[in-house]
Amino acid sequence: MRILNLALNDLLQIIRDWKSFLFLLIMPVIFTLVFGFAFGGFDTGDEEVDPRLPVGFVDQDQEQISPVLFALLKKSDAIRPVTFEEDTTLEELERIVAEDELAAMIIVPDGYSESLPTDQKLKLIIIQKEATSAGATVQNGVQAAVNRLTNSISAAQFSTMIQAQFNPFGSQTDQDAYFDGSLENAVASWDAPPFTLISTQTGAEEERAEQPNAFSHSSPGMMVQFAIAGLIGAAGILVIERKSGSLQRLLTTAISRTEILIGHFLAMFLMVLIQFTILIGFAAIFLDVGYFDAPLATILVTLTTALFVASMGMLIGTLAKSEEQVIMYSLIPMFILSGLGGAWVPLEFTSPTFRTVGHFTPVAWAMDGFQNIVMRGMGLESVLMPAAILLGFTAACFGLAVWRFEYE
Amino acid sequence: MSNRIAIQTNNLHKDFGEVYAVRGVNIEIQSGEIFSLLGPNGAGKTTVISMISGLLKPNQGDATILGHSITHEPLAAKAALGVVPQEIAIYEDLSARENLMFWGKMYGLRGAHLKQRVAEILETIGLADRQKGRVEKFSGGMKRRLNIGIALLHEPEVVIMDEPTVGIDPQSRRKILDSVMELNKQGMTVFYTTHYMEEAQELSDHIAIMDHGEIIASGTHAELVKIVGELDRIELNINTESDRVMETWKNTPGVEKITAENGQLHLLVNDSNLVLPQLFEKAAQVGSRITSVEIQEPNLETVFLHLTGRALRD
Ligand SMILES: Nc1ncnc2c1ncn2[C@@H]1O[C@H](COP(=O)(O)OP(=O)(O)OP(=O)(O)O)[C@@H](O)[C@H]1O
Ligand SMILES: [Mg+2]
Repeated sequence: MRILNLALNDLLQIIRDWKSFLFLLIMPVIFTLVFGFAFGGFDTGDEEVDPRLPVGFVDQDQEQISPVLFALLKKSDAIRPVTFEEDTTLEELERIVAEDELAAMIIVPDGYSESLPTDQKLKLIIIQKEATSAGATVQNGVQAAVNRLTNSISAAQFSTMIQAQFNPFGSQTDQDAYFDGSLENAVASWDAPPFTLISTQTGAEEERAEQPNAFSHSSPGMMVQFAIAGLIGAAGILVIERKSGSLQRLLTTAISRTEILIGHFLAMFLMVLIQFTILIGFAAIFLDVGYFDAPLATILVTLTTALFVASMGMLIGTLAKSEEQVIMYSLIPMFILSGLGGAWVPLEFTSPTFRTVGHFTPVAWAMDGFQNIVMRGMGLESVLMPAAILLGFTAACFGLAVWRFEYE
Repeated sequence: MSNRIAIQTNNLHKDFGEVYAVRGVNIEIQSGEIFSLLGPNGAGKTTVISMISGLLKPNQGDATILGHSITHEPLAAKAALGVVPQEIAIYEDLSARENLMFWGKMYGLRGAHLKQRVAEILETIGLADRQKGRVEKFSGGMKRRLNIGIALLHEPEVVIMDEPTVGIDPQSRRKILDSVMELNKQGMTVFYTTHYMEEAQELSDHIAIMDHGEIIASGTHAELVKIVGELDRIELNINTESDRVMETWKNTPGVEKITAENGQLHLLVNDSNLVLPQLFEKAAQVGSRITSVEIQEPNLETVFLHLTGRALRD
């Protein structure tokens, strides 16, 4: 009970200080937005984060139409075609799909191009696992590409026919060339078809919601960075308490030294937890950051990161001898840990050496945890290791703080 | 309540490495009295109090509060004790009321009883109309009063006050002294430390004088003053540097002790009527003139001067 009273008293003092709100909430929101907009483009075209399903593409036809189909498939939002040699055996292709190396195989049968302008159109052969959501995605993607292809071919045929009416072709070669040109135009016009503008835009919107956006990096980064900055106020309370004699006075009541430490730790933990909750809610709701995609994982990383930050606050509070030192001991580690730990620039974009060095900082593990959720769409299992390591850092910092406090 | 021993220390020792802050202190404070520990800066008063209130472990010796040993039954001892620290140990960011509420909870008070005690204390320390104001904005005297009020919340039988009037204006000081006497009238035992002999003299039933970590004298005011016997205390000013004058006066028959403080000379003499003429004469011989003389009744200052050869205030 005394522990809780002490913690609440700390929180009351933190709330009384307007700087708390500046450091804990206002600054991280501003910097999340600034960094998010500044690095807005860094995840586009990045193969590593391509969320589309990979599918095999086997061209047994080897005629002029199949490259067009390949190009159309490549533009798909849902699937990403990977070319296979035409002579790969069916068994081999089936094995690849069965073992989930690829979501599906698309085979363009011999004579496909020839058959398209006719009434006896050949069908594409698709190998896939039955009744899977990936299968449905592949079918939709292929269907969309084939629709575009047949529509384009019709348009090209129609155009060639009209042209022949007014201005007959000199030779079959000329006519074929004209057809190819028209087909190319028709396919190209699918990129910006005036009449389907609305539907493609809607599709693009939805896609963005599922894909990581630039805020997915800046949100956890700035949140962690400013949680450390926010320790200035909380750790300052410990220093003032020692200097004013309030600590001595507390010790004349029935509370023990250990209980005092736990009370302050609890206050810092709650402070950071409240901060994280508000910032995560804000980013998830207004910036589309996918914290809610794996709620349990988010909760685990949030709790362990908050524990770590609080333990660091305890260490600062017990090491610093003055309020000036509190500021120094908070801001210097904040810059070093945030910089090295990838809170500013994602560690994937740095050299392997930097990445290795970075992972000696707890911030890197907090970032890993959050990014596994919001950038890589992973779940609870992916954050177990970061959470465990954060707990390790927590134990180390808290242990040092206890040692300092008892030694005083 | 009467005839019980409120605080007893038994051969308390404390050193901080090289510094021997307290060396063998024995004091006994009866329930219901005001007991003052008088001593100059650095005498060891706060160290004694820290040991009695369980903040410092004695190197040797023990203390009991209402019979509870502070080393063996710290919780029972602490429960009976209210401590007003020398520093102003309050939360500046909070209001007077919030401070009292918090400390009340730390002393184990709850609910309606807590609220009632807070209201009573606010009246006692005269801060009822400023209870919502942030302590940060308070004057030194107001902070001191709040500092005292906190120690009284849990209605302790024994209150220790460590120099509660340091650094405040005479008016606030008066208020504090009055409330100490009022609390004592209500039955509270008060252990009071100070380096103002006037405070010790006015408040106390018993006084102990401390210097260099030791109790050098103790008793009632009257008993202490008797130590200096028939000695008179003379305070005088001269119109030149004091060194040469002091040198010649030292060997004058009847002069017991002589010290200089802020240009003023303090002398302890056997009979001022016999000694004074000689002082004038000897001063003139070295070219000095006495500009003012005051003969005083012996007081605690005299006692301290007599026992240590130094002035109480430095
Ligand atoms: N924590 C400490 N570490 C080292 N020396 C100390 C410590 N506390 C007190 N001292 C020394 O012990 C001696 C007694 O100090 P103490 O504070 O008890 O004196 P005091 O009588 O309360 O003085 P004041 O009137 O200035 O408050 C001093 O010489 C002081 O410097
Ligand atoms: Mg002191």
